[in-house]
Amino acid sequence: MSSVIRARAVRKSYGKGRVALDGIDFDIAPGRIVGLMGPNGAGKTTALKAILGLTPYDGELSVLGRNPQLERNALMQDVCFIADVAVLPKWMRVEHALEFVAGVHPRFDRERAEAVLAKTTIKRNSRIGQLSKGMITQLHLALIMAIDAKLLVLDEPTLGLDLLSRRAFYEALLNDYFDHERTILVTTHQVEEVENLLTDVLLIRDGRIVLDATVDSLATRYAQVTVPRDRAAEAMALGPFFSREVFGLSVFIYDIAKGAAPTIEQLSALGELRTPSIADLFVALLQPADTAPGSAV
Amino acid sequence: MNFRAMKTLIQRELREHRALLWAPTITAAVIILTAMLSTTISGGFDLDIDVESGGREFLVDVAHRQALFAVWMGALVLPQMLVAMIVIFFYLLDALYTERKDRSILFWKSMPVSDIETVASKLLTALLVVPLAVWVLSMLTGLVVFFVAGIKLAGTTLDPLTEFHAVTWLGLQLTTLQNTLVAALWYAPLACYLLLISVYAKRSPFLWAVLPPLLLVIFENAAFNTGKVASFLIERLTAFFREVSIGPSTGDSAGGSASLYADVARAYDQLGTLDMLARADLWLGVAAAALLFWLAARLRRWRDDA
Repeated sequence: MSSVIRARAVRKSYGKGRVALDGIDFDIAPGRIVGLMGPNGAGKTTALKAILGLTPYDGELSVLGRNPQLERNALMQDVCFIADVAVLPKWMRVEHALEFVAGVHPRFDRERAEAVLAKTTIKRNSRIGQLSKGMITQLHLALIMAIDAKLLVLDEPTLGLDLLSRRAFYEALLNDYFDHERTILVTTHQVEEVENLLTDVLLIRDGRIVLDATVDSLATRYAQVTVPRDRAAEAMALGPFFSREVFGLSVFIYDIAKGAAPTIEQLSALGELRTPSIADLFVALLQPADTAPGSAV
Repeated sequence: MNFRAMKTLIQRELREHRALLWAPTITAAVIILTAMLSTTISGGFDLDIDVESGGREFLVDVAHRQALFAVWMGALVLPQMLVAMIVIFFYLLDALYTERKDRSILFWKSMPVSDIETVASKLLTALLVVPLAVWVLSMLTGLVVFFVAGIKLAGTTLDPLTEFHAVTWLGLQLTTLQNTLVAALWYAPLACYLLLISVYAKRSPFLWAVLPPLLLVIFENAAFNTGKVASFLIERLTAFFREVSIGPSTGDSAGGSASLYADVARAYDQLGTLDMLARADLWLGVAAAALLFWLAARLRRWRDDA
């Protein structure tokens, strides 16, 4: 029961043939910031919808100890949710949005939302449709921050925002919201943006979990070596699962936790050794199967 | 169900669909303006009392005057009610459609509000909140029109008509309130049908709501040469208004104050619609409404296309 989210063999298909989630298992512990990442159509949004009880699924899913299919309303008292920026109703005025959430959400602290909004240039009597995308995001975040929730789910929260607004969003999230007791689950394909934020990574492809790891554990599991091209054959011989060419250098990524894996000494002898970034791993693990080394290299 | 949440939900409906209250208000303003400008006493609703040819009964007999007063005031409710119903029709079609189209449903669903509560807030807005607002509005409209007419008629031979019958007036307001509630029950299946279409239609909910029944009528007529569907639909749409029909009876060309009085008396008798509660089809309709409501809420719960 200590998991915030516990998924076992969660499966979802749309009509015939198109499988969005192919029996996924994972656990998310409290106080983590988890990035659920994958290419378009990998099943990220479907997974979130299942977690939020917005779509039917097969399998076993427990969110804060509740079944999202049967107890959605109770669940939404403890779960907040931002599905990209464009969903706040455009006809609504800012003050009425505050009033609305205050009226329907028992855990909403209006004064806190007002305090967050006071730091912005958003006017209370503006219609949401008149605000810029960045301002709408600030407003949504102000609403969310004032809700005492245990789990925050973000689905591509910064889609369509400029760089400044994206930065501001994640800074506010980390500095003013996250308190090491709350859990944040975020999907995005702008991996670089959340890279430094995450404590855990879930990579998903074709409805399956490809990687489920804490960020701290990545260093003991993966190694990336950059070697001059003339030593590429040596590096290839050590069995990387991914390789690419950059500026005349070859980059190889190894799974060093495997049984027959090369040792750190072997790898550092070849070239510059480091832990791959999440973005590197994203590319390495989520590339389409037919371009993986072994088949193509 | 939480009262504060329901109040908030209904308030949001009225804020999003401002025409729900504006349209009846503008109608009231038009009625009052017409009363000010028109030469007839009733304000747009033409009660032509010919004093010379014996309309004098209305002036001398208080029971006649009360009946006339009630029918006159009662008639003022109808245009506001009719306008409100047209606006409510489009509101119901829009209520669960636009939220999917502009994806704001994802915001509404991020709040701890059940689909039953959401759909109920829309149904309550359509069947109770707006009609009750129209009731209050019609009360005020009637008083203003009465006041305007009073100024115009003071000192004329029709001066006795400017007498305010307080008890009759109160009785009429109660009758109108009853009518509002009966209408809510009678039209509940239609309202729930529109909500279901609104949550179901991928696009053009208006066509989804109107075309299938129309095609069914045409098909029945062509295939069986009968009109059962048509008469069923017409009955459901018009029965309430037939019950409250106010105005001169048709086909009576005799004219004169005797028939006018008969018209008024008949209309006065028909102001109330409580007898509709004895109709089995009213209660069957309510049961159908419950089913359609449940379907609409369920479809909104699991619909996944935003």
